[in-house]
Amino acid sequence: MRCERRILRYHSLKRGRVRQTWNKYNMYNLLRLRNSISSMGTFFQQKWAAKAATRAYHGEHIKEKQWERMFSRRLLSAVNMDPAYMAKYDGSEQAAGRGSGRDVKPGKWSKAQVARNTGNAEALTPYMQMTFAPQERRLDIAVYRALFASSARQARQFVVHGAVKVNGKKMQHPGYLLNPGDLFQVDPEKVMIATGRKKSSKSESLSTPKQPAAEEEAETAEEATEAAEQSVEELGPEQLQAQHLEGLKLLHQHAKKIIEANKEKLSGGHKKEIRELSQKIKEAMNRARKAGSDVQETGDDMQNLATLMSHLELTPTERKEFQKQQEQQASEAPAAETTSASPSAPTPLSPSPDYPQLKTRTPVPKTSTKFDKIESQILKRLLEEEKINPYDPSKPYATPWRPRPYMSAFAFIPRYLEVNPKICAAVYLRHPVARPGKSEIPTPFGTQISQLAFNWYLRRR
Amino acid sequence: MVVKIRLARFGRTNSPFYNIVVAHARTARNSRPLEVIGTYDPIPKKDTYDESGRLHKDIKLDITRAKYWIGVGAQPTETATRLLSMVGIVDPKHQKTPPRKSTPKKEKVVTVEA
Amino acid sequence: MPPRIRSSNCPPQQLLLNYLDAPLPSSLLPLHRSSAPSSSSPSCRSQQTSPQCQQQTSSFSTSQPREMTKPQREFRAFLKRMGKQFEKHEGNGPKYLCQVHQPKVDNVPFPSNKSFKSEPVLSSRARQTIWEAVMLKGMPLKAVSAQYQVDMRRVAAVVRLMEIEKRMERENAAMAIPYAQAVEKMLPRANLDSSEEEPFEPINDVHVHSFTMQQLFVPVSESREFTRKDAAKAFGDHILPPDHKMRIPELVDMEKAILNGIPQEKAEQEFLKQTRESERRFAESQKYVAAKKDAKKSKVDTERFEFRIENFNSEAVGKKGRARNAVGWRYGVPFNDRQRGLYKIPTSVG
Repeated sequence: MRCERRILRYHSLKRGRVRQTWNKYNMYNLLRLRNSISSMGTFFQQKWAAKAATRAYHGEHIKEKQWERMFSRRLLSAVNMDPAYMAKYDGSEQAAGRGSGRDVKPGKWSKAQVARNTGNAEALTPYMQMTFAPQERRLDIAVYRALFASSARQARQFVVHGAVKVNGKKMQHPGYLLNPGDLFQVDPEKVMIATGRKKSSKSESLSTPKQPAAEEEAETAEEATEAAEQSVEELGPEQLQAQHLEGLKLLHQHAKKIIEANKEKLSGGHKKEIRELSQKIKEAMNRARKAGSDVQETGDDMQNLATLMSHLELTPTERKEFQKQQEQQASEAPAAETTSASPSAPTPLSPSPDYPQLKTRTPVPKTSTKFDKIESQILKRLLEEEKINPYDPSKPYATPWRPRPYMSAFAFIPRYLEVNPKICAAVYLRHPVARPGKSEIPTPFGTQISQLAFNWYLRRR
Repeated sequence: MVVKIRLARFGRTNSPFYNIVVAHARTARNSRPLEVIGTYDPIPKKDTYDESGRLHKDIKLDITRAKYWIGVGAQPTETATRLLSMVGIVDPKHQKTPPRKSTPKKEKVVTVEA
Repeated sequence: MPPRIRSSNCPPQQLLLNYLDAPLPSSLLPLHRSSAPSSSSPSCRSQQTSPQCQQQTSSFSTSQPREMTKPQREFRAFLKRMGKQFEKHEGNGPKYLCQVHQPKVDNVPFPSNKSFKSEPVLSSRARQTIWEAVMLKGMPLKAVSAQYQVDMRRVAAVVRLMEIEKRMERENAAMAIPYAQAVEKMLPRANLDSSEEEPFEPINDVHVHSFTMQQLFVPVSESREFTRKDAAKAFGDHILPPDHKMRIPELVDMEKAILNGIPQEKAEQEFLKQTRESERRFAESQKYVAAKKDAKKSKVDTERFEFRIENFNSEAVGKKGRARNAVGWRYGVPFNDRQRGLYKIPTSVG
């Protein structure tokens, strides 16, 4: 049967089932999960409860019959053999004496002097946590484990809808069992949708009426550039220079404003301003090209802008240093700020919606036209970020892309996968194994519950 | 009765797959043949990591049996001839004659247009 | 068949409820709840919640607000307090649920399963290092694996993925760069620097054969040397000793050489030579197999397609002419590819 069982209240708080999703309800349920089942009922009841709990997480979308077919009582494990130990001993030292290794010092058992295969944790191998290992071979669950989908069901949908390739070929069976060495690839756009923040209804409602306005703006900008081009043809070289200089000055002023606002906090509004700024810089560059590079000062300014582009990205440590410096500056000169913020002057911190256009001619003090190092680097970083992660209202997720809420609590990649998130591809290296002290199967349940579930599927009820 | 080497269509709608069979000429296309001597998959395929876009088609053929049946007078159909001629069992029906060197290229173009 | 829960003196429903009602730490509970008397009976829930809801009702609204159940209230309180830290990932490192209760426990994503740890993944820098070692320096995979303590299969996978990445970069294909940056920040990472003391992962894994999972009593004389080989034999004739199952046996050879007094540098040189040789041999055998397979096929190039003609023996069709591995569509045998319930998912992709 192709029909899927629809589950009402998938993340019910009352039932508290844990699922393979990145949902916040699921996160809460995970935190509430207890690692043992009450021993009040019969053994059968305990097994039943354990099975119900574990199956709600492990392949809940897989039919029980199918899973029973897939289940294997053979639990895979591996031990690490230390080459140094292998070279030194042939194993006979373990069978010496009475058959369990000869005591180096009779009476005193010193561990350091006994030959041991190091490299394994001194712990039991949690075999019972491997109960659901066969499921991890499934393509849909591997896609979920590689962090390419926010739930196993979504991963399944990606497969069915043809967004997943195995070894370069489209694979539409979510139940395909990966073989060691198989490479699977998910459409990056789908991954961005799955893991990105949703478009909020607020931003959508804001963007829809704004769109015509934006178009108008674009049109006016185009007109302006056209007019500028025309004027370039008409005006003499001196006038041109003057016009060009003024444009640049305004650009500087505007960038400064943004950067200052940016020092405090990065908000969506500022990012939008950055976007517009990059546009303006491009325009200015075009003009500069038209005007010619005979004027020394304009050349300097343009170079300043160009260096902005080529600066290195800020590292977190650098950012911290900047913050420190800014704090110092703020503490040193609060009085100066208050004097500068006279009521007649436009407040620089608040991003004004109608910021000065390039064409408007307002006198700008010469001192403020130069960027300092920090400012230029911050501007550079912002422009770079904008380039990698652009604002694009046509995307089905919120742009610039950000991870969806509560993702980090679920972000882990098991060792049997090697993932390259940049191209949204992963290799299934080998079947998951248990090792001394750790198991590779991501299961939220404790050993007791897993063991009860394993016993259920042994079919000796 | 005439023995023919021909194709028998299997597969599915829009995904044909042929058995190269030796059968009596009057029998039905998919009826049990005298012998199956090969298969022909007419759907062109791409190599997995080949980026050139070159496509290939797979044929499986028991060459000794094919030669035997040709030797005893089995008549390959046109399509079968095309396939068998690839391994040189029969002469190709529409042989590509190399253009004579003396004939200028222009004439050839004219004939094509006419 | 499900158990008849009604007749049982301990209904599984209650069993599950017990299992669910894990003791929440007081920090998780909302403050006003800690003073209220706790009750596990669901029947009295509505009575209990209603006065509180009335308190929360704003003064201007006359309609009754929808009642929140106890779990809902607790969930909301959790999201406001402890859950807040997970909403937006900040900083440069993992943030898992386990840190709510036990900040000391490292990288355990599931609070009730301590045996599963989120182990570090290779950072993008580490992947680049591996790719450079293999593709630019031309080091054999085994040597790269031994140097960085990364499993050989992972080394191969990293190179394979990096090659795809580089090709996509060349082709200007769409990539999920912001996603990759965010994911990398959320995961524990290994840079494969020399500063990291812990090896990245075990590189000489030996699979535990199920035959060896039993306890055997093998009587042998005290004077006899009972080695790993003998032990393997005792478990079964076909069981290989771990010496034969080592992924990088050259490493054992190197250690043996060092034990025999050969200076380490020389032994390492020898190791590099051996691994290079073994890699060459493997590549040669692969080539040989491919060439042999290719020789079976004759290729005819036409303008549009390449025809690959494989010679085969048409008479190997079994007694009744219906052998499973016989070439061609079989006659008189049902072809159940559309039958329900039959497994038709491909088992491998070439």
